[in-house]
Amino acid sequence: MEFYTKPGDYDPINYIPHGESHGTKELWRTFWILLGITIFDFIIYFVMPASGYRNLIFIFFGIVKAYFIVGAFMHLKYEKINLALIILVPTVFIVGLIMGLLYEGSALSHIK
Amino acid sequence: MANQIQTTYENQPMWAGGRSPFNVSYGKLMMWIFLLSDAFTFSSLLVQYGAQRFSNVQTAVTSKWPDPASIFNHFPMMHGLHLPLLFVSVMTFILILSSVTMVLAVEAGHRNSKKEVQRYMIYTILGGAAFLGCQAWEWYTFIHEGARLDGNTFGITKEGYSHLKSVGFGDHFEWEAGDRSNGPVPFAALFFIVTGFHGFHVFSGVVINVVVYIMTVRGVFERRGHYEMIEKAGLYWHFVDLVWVFVFTFFYLI
Repeated sequence: MEFYTKPGDYDPINYIPHGESHGTKELWRTFWILLGITIFDFIIYFVMPASGYRNLIFIFFGIVKAYFIVGAFMHLKYEKINLALIILVPTVFIVGLIMGLLYEGSALSHIK
Repeated sequence: MANQIQTTYENQPMWAGGRSPFNVSYGKLMMWIFLLSDAFTFSSLLVQYGAQRFSNVQTAVTSKWPDPASIFNHFPMMHGLHLPLLFVSVMTFILILSSVTMVLAVEAGHRNSKKEVQRYMIYTILGGAAFLGCQAWEWYTFIHEGARLDGNTFGITKEGYSHLKSVGFGDHFEWEAGDRSNGPVPFAALFFIVTGFHGFHVFSGVVINVVVYIMTVRGVFERRGHYEMIEKAGLYWHFVDLVWVFVFTFFYLI
């Protein structure tokens, strides 16, 4: 965290914190994890018969991949927790939308 | 005196002024907020797909949701072979790889290494272009087989209907179509809308990357003293990759 000694020193529009390199090791590790999960999805698709459980596995691995992309690639793991929260907490509305519209969809299927 | 004021700022609450509460630049914070709103846009499209699909699983025999494996089973140069999921997995691999080269460009930018930033940006642009080419081929094949924004020829076959009837499913329905019924329109329409919207994001991401690459070559960031623009372009590019993870999951896997 950088502090400014005079109130006029801090310019909110032009303020750029100095970005630091964390090296490439973690990035390549993330790449192999993402690739591994994708290959695992591919295998599961052919090995397991289609079912709700298989869909749950796919959705679970989708969220795991999202964690690695947002955390490591988009660097959110290393940002301040406040920033991470204002980005992540509003996504609960998406969960609400999913539950609401899937309920509506299945209700529609009884009418059709 | 200076030290005194500094101590005062440190002890003040985060929002009392004199410092950046999130310790990010204005542009990067706004990029995050934009990506959050974009995530809502994409999720509303994907949830619409889910709702349409849920409404077509139980009783509607003629509009039974098609199995993606029976449709997206083509691979370039391999005509007539049943290869579900293979091509789209290659596309996923290309996008993940271009995401890695993007993040390597960001990392090189932190070290102010202009040469490496240029090299990795070129790789990223090539990856994006390759992905767009793959998507164009995918669309071409799908349209060629009769999918339209307002129509869908991938209904169930007559044999499939007979089988459903033999297990007591959809008894009330009389088969009137020919060999194959028309499928539910939202299947093709939402495929075009969602992958099209994503593809448009990839396209604009490539354009942004090209602009940023030209700025790098011309030494704009070198004179500026930092490569933060690469980070902002990178955030957008990773978001495109993130959306593809879910498009891949919901359109192809499930």
